[in-house]
Amino acid sequence: MITLSQVNKVFRLPHDRRTTLRQRFVGLLQKNTYEELYALRDINLEINEGEFLGIIGKNGSGKSTLLKLIANVLEPTSGTVTVNGNVAPFLELGVGFQWDLTVKDNIFFYGALLGMSRKEIANKYDWIIDFSGLERFVDAKLKNLSSGMQVRLGFSITVSIKSPILLVDEVLAVGDIDFQKKCYDAFENFKKDGRTIVFVSHDLSAVEKFCDRAILLKEGSVSAEGHPEDVLTAYKNYEQMSSHHFT
Amino acid sequence: MSKYTENCKKAALLRRKNYIYLTSVMAITDFKIKYDNSALGYFWSLLKPLLMFGTLYLVFSVFVRWQVENYKLYLLLGIILWNFLAEVTLNSMVLLEAKASILKKICFPRWIIVIASSITSFLTLLLNMGVFFIFFVLSGVHFQASALLLIVYLAEFYILVVGLSLLLCSLYPKFRDIHHIWEVFVQLGFWATPIIYPITIVPVKFHKLIFLNPVARIIQGCREAVIGGGSQFSSFTNHTIIIFVAVCLFVVGLGMFNRLSRSFAEDL
Repeated sequence: MITLSQVNKVFRLPHDRRTTLRQRFVGLLQKNTYEELYALRDINLEINEGEFLGIIGKNGSGKSTLLKLIANVLEPTSGTVTVNGNVAPFLELGVGFQWDLTVKDNIFFYGALLGMSRKEIANKYDWIIDFSGLERFVDAKLKNLSSGMQVRLGFSITVSIKSPILLVDEVLAVGDIDFQKKCYDAFENFKKDGRTIVFVSHDLSAVEKFCDRAILLKEGSVSAEGHPEDVLTAYKNYEQMSSHHFT
Repeated sequence: MSKYTENCKKAALLRRKNYIYLTSVMAITDFKIKYDNSALGYFWSLLKPLLMFGTLYLVFSVFVRWQVENYKLYLLLGIILWNFLAEVTLNSMVLLEAKASILKKICFPRWIIVIASSITSFLTLLLNMGVFFIFFVLSGVHFQASALLLIVYLAEFYILVVGLSLLLCSLYPKFRDIHHIWEVFVQLGFWATPIIYPITIVPVKFHKLIFLNPVARIIQGCREAVIGGGSQFSSFTNHTIIIFVAVCLFVVGLGMFNRLSRSFAEDL
């Protein structure tokens, strides 16, 4: 179970970002001003075992920050995030790709990054190659593959992970129709296995299809929560309203 | 405790075990990239230190004549050891930046990057030692049993260098120019340490000052152990001093690193 209680995440964005000793020395006499950006505001959220939760919202609404907090990559400014003693891997395509290594080496590297042992990866190796359809390219350097192949490899490694919690950021909107179908099947399997999945996506139909529950983030706060259909309706209304605002 | 909770606990435990594997994979990955996955890549990388060695050797054995026995070996060993320090401390900062995209997305102990980088350089050091022993055999110097002390010195040196790297890396995301500043210090250290010159040309009153630097003690100690020429540094006191400094640096470095690395995902 994942519990977030009263979580705030504030990013300080300095007007003049100082990252060197020189800048700090030169700027000693000037006060550095900054903006405070509330990426997340008072989030209370419980995600149950085996739940498939969808998170939707516009760009900059705090979706990725929320995932990073659960993944324990970022620390909350205030409040607590508990993830049942276990760290959930944050899955996004292309993270950890080593362009100068072969496909084979990349599988082992990425697997190790996600906390798998050599044996585990070796056991899944054939499956990953088969799923991605890259049998002929295992010894090719990653940078020499087409972008479609890279995406397929990334997703194949991603879905092979046996972690009880998965955090998925925008991975479905890639690949051709055949590969997308494979991905949807993989998602069905995740559900059947009873794994907990937090899924961030702009693909509303996917959210509606897979999620048990959805939340809508608006400027860092939860503005709607509940059955995916209702939340999607709320999102569509909100989007319409804000687009009127601009015209 | 539900079965689910149990599974999570198990997964966490397993992850911790697999950190060792992750460290080794990262080190080997960096090693492969460094040498382009080929033996020739390694030979190519030898060009720079060997050229440096050749130049210095030419200058200081032909133009300036130090009174050092086996000056060739003396110089080569010094350069190889100093290069290890320079490489680990400077590369670990570069690697930290190169791995920023991974740090921002995946949670794993950040020290793995520094340790992996140090292992990569240590492998290089071992290969370079191989080159050194080729020179050693060709020069006809007799092998002495004390050469086994080299292992002890290398272990001490490794801990010292890793401690230093952790310290530098913990500051790097907030003070990027520390990389350039450290580069200057490495240059300074190269001349402040008896690497190309024998300690005998330094006035005795400065010896204390020079041997405040534990690296100078390690390099001199290695030379004595392998090439010979005294046993001033194989003493118990010398090892105690080196180990004390190395462990202190390591503990302080690790402490600072663990503290400051929490915000790496935001700073890098």
